[in-house]
Amino acid sequence: MLTRDPTTSRPLLHTSYRSDMALFDTRTKRNAVVLIVLFGLSLPLLLPDPDLRLLSTASVFAIGAIGLGLLTGSAGQISLGHAFFLGVGCYAAAVISGDPDGRAIGFGITEILIWLPAAGLVAAAVGVLIAPLATRLRGLYLAIVTLGLVFVGEHLFEQWRVVTGGARAGRPAPEPVLFGYPLHVDGLFTRQQQLFWLMFVLLVIFALLARNLSRSAVGRAFNAVRDRDIAAGVIGVNLVKYKTIAFAISSFYAGCAGALLYVIIGHVNPTEFNLLLSVLFIAMVLVGGVGTISGAIAGAFFITLLGRFTEQVGPMLPLISARSHETPNVFQMQNVLYALLIIGFLLFEPRGLFGIWFRIRNWWKAFPFSY
Amino acid sequence: MTTTTAPAPQTTAERQPTTTTLATRIRDRAATQPDQVAMRHKDLGIWREITWATYWDTVQTVGHALLDMGVEPGDRVAIHSENRPEWLVTDIATLAARASTVGLYPTNPAAEVAYLLSHSGAKVHVVEDQEQLDKALAVFDDCPELTHIVYVDPRGIKGRYQHPALMSWDELLARGAAHRQAHPDALAERMAEAAPDDIVTIIYTSGTTGPPKGAMLTVANVEFAVNTHAAGTGFANPPPGPYDMLLSYLPLCHVVERTFTTWFNAGAGIQVNFAESIATVQPNLAEIQPTILFSVPRIWEKMLAGVQIRLANATLPKRVTARFWLKVADWIGDTLVRTGGSHTVATRLVYAVGWVCWYRALRTRLGMRRVRAAVSGAAPIAPEVLKFFMGIGVPMYEAYGMTENAAISTANQPGRVKLGTVGEPLGDAEVRVADDGEILVRHPGVFAGYFRDPEATARTMTDDGWLRTGDIGEWIDGTHIKITDRAKDIIITAGGKNIAPSEIENALKTSPFLKEVVVIGDGRPYLTALIGIEFDTVAAWAQRRKLDFTTYRDLSEKPEVIELVQSLVDEVNQRLATVEQIKKFRMLPKELDHEDGELTATQKVKRGALAERFADLVDDLYRNRDR
Repeated sequence: MLTRDPTTSRPLLHTSYRSDMALFDTRTKRNAVVLIVLFGLSLPLLLPDPDLRLLSTASVFAIGAIGLGLLTGSAGQISLGHAFFLGVGCYAAAVISGDPDGRAIGFGITEILIWLPAAGLVAAAVGVLIAPLATRLRGLYLAIVTLGLVFVGEHLFEQWRVVTGGARAGRPAPEPVLFGYPLHVDGLFTRQQQLFWLMFVLLVIFALLARNLSRSAVGRAFNAVRDRDIAAGVIGVNLVKYKTIAFAISSFYAGCAGALLYVIIGHVNPTEFNLLLSVLFIAMVLVGGVGTISGAIAGAFFITLLGRFTEQVGPMLPLISARSHETPNVFQMQNVLYALLIIGFLLFEPRGLFGIWFRIRNWWKAFPFSY
Repeated sequence: MTTTTAPAPQTTAERQPTTTTLATRIRDRAATQPDQVAMRHKDLGIWREITWATYWDTVQTVGHALLDMGVEPGDRVAIHSENRPEWLVTDIATLAARASTVGLYPTNPAAEVAYLLSHSGAKVHVVEDQEQLDKALAVFDDCPELTHIVYVDPRGIKGRYQHPALMSWDELLARGAAHRQAHPDALAERMAEAAPDDIVTIIYTSGTTGPPKGAMLTVANVEFAVNTHAAGTGFANPPPGPYDMLLSYLPLCHVVERTFTTWFNAGAGIQVNFAESIATVQPNLAEIQPTILFSVPRIWEKMLAGVQIRLANATLPKRVTARFWLKVADWIGDTLVRTGGSHTVATRLVYAVGWVCWYRALRTRLGMRRVRAAVSGAAPIAPEVLKFFMGIGVPMYEAYGMTENAAISTANQPGRVKLGTVGEPLGDAEVRVADDGEILVRHPGVFAGYFRDPEATARTMTDDGWLRTGDIGEWIDGTHIKITDRAKDIIITAGGKNIAPSEIENALKTSPFLKEVVVIGDGRPYLTALIGIEFDTVAAWAQRRKLDFTTYRDLSEKPEVIELVQSLVDEVNQRLATVEQIKKFRMLPKELDHEDGELTATQKVKRGALAERFADLVDDLYRNRDR
């Protein structure tokens, strides 16, 4: 009944700031994360390849969504230009790992430990270049400027054929080789199993890093900037510095997500990085829950799985065609559905899926009272 | 009756032939368990830990500072502060210097500060902050013996106050450190001279009538109290130990909080956690989850009322579950009352299910998840309140004691609880009921007398060493004592009936809606009452009924509220004999307050002051009788 150290058995008794802001501040949280990770790692042995492919895609989307969540949710900088940074990362990786004898330029370095960070860094560097805009603008104006970024990017990617292969033709995606072991061809396990493990482990790493960031001084500075940038400036938060950091980190995540996304598909077309992709990420962040890591992950999985769901259910509905040249078709229906979801969540559950979870948790947290 | 002897003092016997005091106990703990936590206090959101080694080191520094300031054996050092580590440090340092501590209630107004400081003749006065310092400086000229004032929290003071006697806590520590370097053995030598009849502390009793009297407790008194509790004869079994957690939030100048905080800490090694303030007790309890919890009836009643309001305001599914488990708790409570606090197989099984479904969550919210001994004392409490807490699984023990006997006389004990009584004599305490019904107590913890008031001392002690408690009581089953009332509160009606008002008052105060009930009727033809509502609960009740109100007075004079109170009075009247029934009542127009002289520092009603202040209400109660 009496434990030696009272702090271990009393979750609210914090005797240091370290315990107050620990990564996993309760034992339940830590255990839940360990269980989820173990469950995720065992999935390739349980599910068929097509489903794994879908989950791999969702994992990569989650990495990108975490990046946007840090920028938009934590630091409050609305960006519609996420797709552009995805493209930058993707082409940086493709150039580094590309075939030196191929149609587009490439350096033939297929080691993922080299091209993945490089993709992130190139995107981050571009993000830092964009950041000065954000330090002068905010809210709607920033959204418009980043929107312009997407169109500039789309044009650039289509025209810069040496790097992108040009519209419609495209170029092969980067090849993931880990310590000389190619993950993208069937080996010890099938291609999809290996890729899922890769993407899932990367998601866990990126999520933990982001979670760690948001509990640090940088994370608190982000929140201060989000809540009121003038007030944050007054209490000593360097706005230029933290907005730049936010853009750099968000772009880094986007770049990595871009590089990984097309590994799964195997081929990358420059027209992919359009406004719709940006909106898709906004939808993930909003549906999942603004300002939370787990919300961004939940949103990414929700939106990705929703896409598969509509593809399967859509054709069964009357009037909806599965072919893209007929109207109305499944893909249009998907877009309408995303729009409805964004509107619905903003109206009825502004804190997203995470907000729903939050309310369930608070119901039990206050039990047997209501407050 | 219990016949446990006090255990031998710990470890010090062979070291040197000194008397064991709280100071030597802390010194020994600092030597044997230097890195264990002695106390915690919350600062900037974090519970900062103070180890035994640090505690003892600071005590020595402050002790040296006291020596440097010329504190001689027998001198008085006053403390005017909320509970915080510096309170304990000053208390023990004073004891080490063989001087006596005088505690002042933080709520004491300047006039009472003047009385206490001048009557005690304190040489050094330690104040917490600007508020208390202002009181001390206002009355400085009335206290000729006062030479030094030390302030702990410099906010608003540093650089703005100029006074020759003024010194900050940091300056005190610096002075102590310098003295310690120059005379490293001075304090140890002073401690070695300690004798069992040194006056450790002068505790001013709040006094519902007349000015406060200073009860002197000696080293031997305190040691008796510590040893009695350490022997496990009290409410905690096993006795309090180093792994027990305590929340310290009641005024430390009262003997009970001193027992739990300072004496249990030094004597048993219990970890003391200082609440941020009286307003944050509930969240602090939830954080600390103490294992031993003392409180006064007022706070137990408030907790119960809080539970009832919050449950009433909960969503429907939560209300339904609550209603069910409260009914079960009622049954468990009834059974425990019958068995004296021991579970039967049936209650244990039912409670185990309830623990998973409801009680665990409730107790965690209340901060009583780990409480193994909850104690109520310092004033009479309604048995229904105790039964509620027993029902939800908190072992509740009502205890009885007073400043003059170092808070040791009787307590209910695990497995032998009799509700409505204050329990059995503790350890070596002798308790008897005199022919006139007054309870007498005799044991080594009985005080050395009132400071500078031999007359009052003579009135309180019998010739053969028995302490007159002033409480009227009787034996129940020959083992447990039941207190009827304070002797001076007994009402004799015009019809010649003796009536104990506190029983009627407590029966009414069980209701969450009532905070103060004062029964009147001495020399009158029938009983009446002045009643004050519990503002929070009645406000919530009024809101649920969509009743508009503005102030306390407005709310308490609403016809609906008077109707509510009338129904509560009627309900209690049914259980009382005709002469004990309350025929009429009036609502108090304001919340009673220490500052206005209506309550004592311990929130007890000053009946005399009240009857005077609300004379018009009282007259009104009796004038209208012919109509």
